[in-house]
Amino acid sequence: MKKRLGSVMLACSLAAVTMAGCSGSNSSGGGTTSAPTAADAGATTDATAAGDVKTLKWAIWDINSVFYYQPLVDEFERRNPDIKIEMVDLGSAGTSDYVTNLAIELSGGGTDFDLATMQSVPQYTTLVSKGVLAKLDDFVARDSWELAQYSGLTEQLTIDGALYELPFRSDFWMLYYNPDVFEKQGVAMPTNDMTWAEYDLLAREVADPTPGNEIYGTHYHTWRSCVQCPATLDGQHTVLDGNYDFYQPFYDMVVSQMEDGISRNYAELKTSSLHHSDAFAQGNTAMYYMGSWQIQGFINKIKTGEYTEIPNWRLAKLPHAPGVAAGDTIGTVTGISIVENSSKKDEAWEFVKFMAGPEGAGIIAGTGSFPAVMTDEVIAEIASMDGFPQDAQSKEAMKKGKLYLEMPISPYTTDIETILNEQHDAIMTGAETVESGIKAMNEQVSAILE
Amino acid sequence: MQTVDGNKYRNILYRVFLYICLLLLTVVMLVPFAWMLSSSLKLNKDIFVFPIRWIPEPIRWQNYIDIWKRIPLLNFLVNTVKITVIVTAFQLLTSSFAAYAFAKREFDFKNQLFLAYIATIAVPWQVYMVPQYIFFRQLGLNDTHLALIILQAFSAFGVFMMRQFYASIPDSLCEAARVDGMNEYKIWAKIMLPLSKPALSTLTIFTFVSTWNDFLGPMIYLRTDTKKTVQLGLRMFISQYAAEYGLIMAASVVALIPVLIIFLSLQKYFVAGIAMSGVKG
Amino acid sequence: MKNKALSKRMRNNLLSYSFILPNFLGFLIFTLGPILFAFILAFMEWDGNHAMKFVGFENFIALVSNQRFLAALRNTVVYSLATVPCTLVVALGLAILLNQNIRGRAFFRTVSFFPYVASLVAVAAVWNMLFSPSKSGPVNMILYSLGWEAKSLPAWAASRDWVMFTLVLFSVWKNMGYYMVIYLAGLQGINSELYEAASLDGAGRMQKFRYITWPQLKPTTFFVTVILTINCFKVFDVVYMLAGGSNGILNTSAIVLVSHIYEESFGKWRLGYGSAVAMVLFLIVLVVTLIQFKGEKNYANS
Repeated sequence: MKKRLGSVMLACSLAAVTMAGCSGSNSSGGGTTSAPTAADAGATTDATAAGDVKTLKWAIWDINSVFYYQPLVDEFERRNPDIKIEMVDLGSAGTSDYVTNLAIELSGGGTDFDLATMQSVPQYTTLVSKGVLAKLDDFVARDSWELAQYSGLTEQLTIDGALYELPFRSDFWMLYYNPDVFEKQGVAMPTNDMTWAEYDLLAREVADPTPGNEIYGTHYHTWRSCVQCPATLDGQHTVLDGNYDFYQPFYDMVVSQMEDGISRNYAELKTSSLHHSDAFAQGNTAMYYMGSWQIQGFINKIKTGEYTEIPNWRLAKLPHAPGVAAGDTIGTVTGISIVENSSKKDEAWEFVKFMAGPEGAGIIAGTGSFPAVMTDEVIAEIASMDGFPQDAQSKEAMKKGKLYLEMPISPYTTDIETILNEQHDAIMTGAETVESGIKAMNEQVSAILE
Repeated sequence: MQTVDGNKYRNILYRVFLYICLLLLTVVMLVPFAWMLSSSLKLNKDIFVFPIRWIPEPIRWQNYIDIWKRIPLLNFLVNTVKITVIVTAFQLLTSSFAAYAFAKREFDFKNQLFLAYIATIAVPWQVYMVPQYIFFRQLGLNDTHLALIILQAFSAFGVFMMRQFYASIPDSLCEAARVDGMNEYKIWAKIMLPLSKPALSTLTIFTFVSTWNDFLGPMIYLRTDTKKTVQLGLRMFISQYAAEYGLIMAASVVALIPVLIIFLSLQKYFVAGIAMSGVKG
Repeated sequence: MKNKALSKRMRNNLLSYSFILPNFLGFLIFTLGPILFAFILAFMEWDGNHAMKFVGFENFIALVSNQRFLAALRNTVVYSLATVPCTLVVALGLAILLNQNIRGRAFFRTVSFFPYVASLVAVAAVWNMLFSPSKSGPVNMILYSLGWEAKSLPAWAASRDWVMFTLVLFSVWKNMGYYMVIYLAGLQGINSELYEAASLDGAGRMQKFRYITWPQLKPTTFFVTVILTINCFKVFDVVYMLAGGSNGILNTSAIVLVSHIYEESFGKWRLGYGSAVAMVLFLIVLVVTLIQFKGEKNYANS
C-alpha cells in the first residue's frame, strides 16, 4: 500500500515537471509570422508620438575587436531618439561559441532578443529552418527597399521565396602578400591577374624549403574551404554537386606543395594553435589567401606594434580559373535579421535598414570592413584608411567580380559539410590519397542527396 | 647481523627509487606548466614557434597587465569566487546530509533512489542542456548567477561520494550514539561530519574546481558582461581575427592561483590519524 | 500492534527522507525533470523551436546505420577500456606514494593535481605543442634521436593511427591527480592499528598492501571505477580540444559519442536524434554500473 502510494506520488511529480518543460517548447512552435499591416505602422507612429523609448536587444559577437558596432549604434540613436539599442555579446566568432549560443538563445520561443547578426550563410540557413527569424519581404515591399544595391546577394539568400536577412557586410577572398620576401628572393610580385597555375609556379619560385631558414611560398589555413572553394570559381560546379572530381587538381596542387615544403604541414597546423594571420606575420611567408575581414586585423596589429615583420604587406586579387576574368572570388555574407519572437519588429526594421543601407555602409567602411553595398566611394574610403596598403594594385584588388558563396543554401548543408570536412582532413593528413578521398566524398554525398 | 645490513640496503634502494619517481613525476606534471608560464611572457606570434624557446626573449610582462585592462578580469574573478563559494557550501551541506541516510539508515525505496541518482551522472549535460535552459528561462532565471548556482548545487555526484566514505565508518559508532540517546540529526552533525573531514575536503576541492572551470554553463546563461565568469573572460581573447594565446596563458596562470591555494590549505586533512581519532576507546 | 509497527516504519521513513529532501528536491526539479524530458525527446523529432513530432523508434533505427555513430561507439569503448585501468593504477600508486612521510609531500601532491586544475584550453595547447607532428616537436625530437625514422614520426593527435593513444595518454595525465585525491582521502580512513599489528606479525610492504590497503579501499575503488567509467563515456572537451585542433574536424578514429551528440544536436539541431544517441550511451553505462554494483555487493558480503 505504502509502496504503491509512494510510486504514484513520484510518478505524478515527475510528470508535472516534465509537462512544465514541454509546455515551454510548444508555446511558440509553428507560430504564425506576423506581417506588418497598415494598422501596425499606424500603431508604431502613435507610440513614438507618445514619446516612450523602445529598447532593442541586439545579438553580436567579439564586441572588443569589431569596431563598427558602437559608431553604428551611436549614429542610429542620434537619428532615432526614441529607439535605444542594447548590444549583447554572445561569444566569439573565432570559435563556434557565437553560433551555438545564439541558436540556444533563440530556442523554445522565450527569447527577448529583437535583432540578431548572422555571421555566415550556414548559420543563417540553420536558423531559418528552425523558424526563429522573421520574414523581411513585407517590410521590403512596404518601404520599397532597393535590393539591387546588394549586387545579387539577396537572391542567393532567398529561401523558399522569402528573405530573412539583409546583408550588411560582404567579405571576399583576396591574396595577401609580403613584397619584402619577394624582393629578397628576387622574384616578381603577384599581380591582379594570375591563373592558379601561375600562382603555383610563383609560390614554388619564391619558396626556400631549407630547414632552419624556411621561406614559405604560400600558406593554407586548415579549413576545407581553403582548398575546395577555389575549385568552384570557374562557375561550372558547386559544393552541392555530389561529384567532386573537380577538386582533384586543387588537392593535387596543395598536397604536392605541402610535401615539397612550399607551405606548412597540415598536421602541424591542425594541432598547433598558430593562427593564419600570425603565420603570415612571422615574415617568412610570401603570400596567402584569406577573407577580406583580415585586413582590419592586420592594420590594427601593426598599429599596436604586435606585428613588426610585415610593415609593407599588400593585396592582390585572388587567382582565377583560366578563361575566366580576374576578380571572381569566394564570398561570405554577414547579415542582420529580425528575431521572429520580437514584439518590436517595426523598430527593428528601422535599424536593419540603417545598418544594411548606404549610411551603415559608410560607417562600416570607415572602420576598415567591407560593407555589402560596395560603391566606388566606399572603396576609396577604405583605401584611404590609415594603415591600408597605398599601392594602386591593392586598391584595384578590392574591385570584385562575381561572388561565389562559400557554402550555398541547401537543406543538406550541414550533412555535406560533415562529410567533406572528414575527407579533407583525411587527404591532408595523408590518411587517404587524393583519389580515394574524393571517391569517398562522391559516394557519401550522393547517398545523402538521393 | 647480515639481515640488518640487508634491510638497510633495501631501505636505501627503496628511498632512491622513491625520489627518482618523484622527480620524474614533477617533470612530467610541470613541463606543460613551464611552457604555459613561458608563453605568458611572449608575444602571440612567438608562442607557437619551433624550436621551443623556453626562456622568452624579450620577456613580455605586459601580458600580465593587459589581461586586467582588456577584460574586466577582476570583476570576473569576484563573480566566479562568489558562485563557487556558494555552490561549494550548498553541495557540502546537502550532499553529506543526504549521504548519511543512504549509508547508515534503512528505508523504503533506498536502493531505487540511490540508483536513480547515480544513473543520472551518466547522462551528458549536453543532452538536456537545451530543455533545461528553456525551463530556467521560463522561471526568469536566465542571465542570473542564481541559475548557475542551482545548476550545480544539487549534485548526485556529491551524494555518491559522501555515501561511499560514510560506508567505511563503523556502524558501531552510530549505534553507540543512539544508545546514548542522540537523535539522528545530532549523530550526523557531531559524529559523521567530523569523521569525514578528508571526504569533505575532497568534495570541496572537486566542487570548487569544477565550478571554477565551468565554461558551457556560464556561456549559455550569462548575457550581461558584468556577470560573466573567468572562463568566459579567457574565451574573450579569441576572436575572429586571432587567438591571443599570450593573454590566455597569462590569465590561465592567474586563474590557477585561487584553486591551488584551496588545495594546499586543505592538505592538512589528508594526513593519516585525523579521521580515525575518536574510534579508539 | 500492527498499527504501531506501521507508524514506526513510517516515522523511520520520514526521518530518512528528511535527510535526503534538501538535495533531492532541488535535484528533482532542476535536473531530473529536464533529463526525463530529454529521454522522451529520443522518440521525437525536434529542432528546438517548432512543435515536436512523435516518430517512435525512427531515431534509433537511424543511428544504427549511421557510420559516424558506429565509429563514435567503437572509439568511446576503446577509449574507456584503455583509460579506466591505466588511470586507476596510476592514481592508486600516486596516492600510496604520496601518503608516506616524505619531505615536500604537499608540494608533490599539488604538482600532481595541477593538470586537472589548469584550464583545458591552455593545457591542450601545451600538449599539442609538445606532441607536435613536426620533427622539431619535443617528443618527436626525442624519438628521432632514439632512432625513429623521420618520415614515420607519429603525427599524434592529427593521425588516425595515433590519435587514440594521444587521447588516452592525455586523459590519464590530466585526471590522475583527481583520482589520486579520492584515494588519498580513502587511505586516511584506514585504521593505522591494522598496519601496526601487521608489522608485529612480520608483514612486508607488498603483504600490507594486499591484505590491508587493497581490501580497506574497496568502497573507494568501487567509487573510482564507476565515476571513471562514466566520465570516460562522457568525454567531450578533451577530444574536441586535442583532436579537433584548429578546424574542429574530428576524424573517424577520434570521434566519440558525446561529440556525435553535439554535432547532431547543435550543428544540425536534430535534438531527437541526439537524445536517442544519449539514451544508448546511458543504457551502456547503466549496464556497466550495475555489473560493478553487483561486484561491490559480493565484496561487501565477503
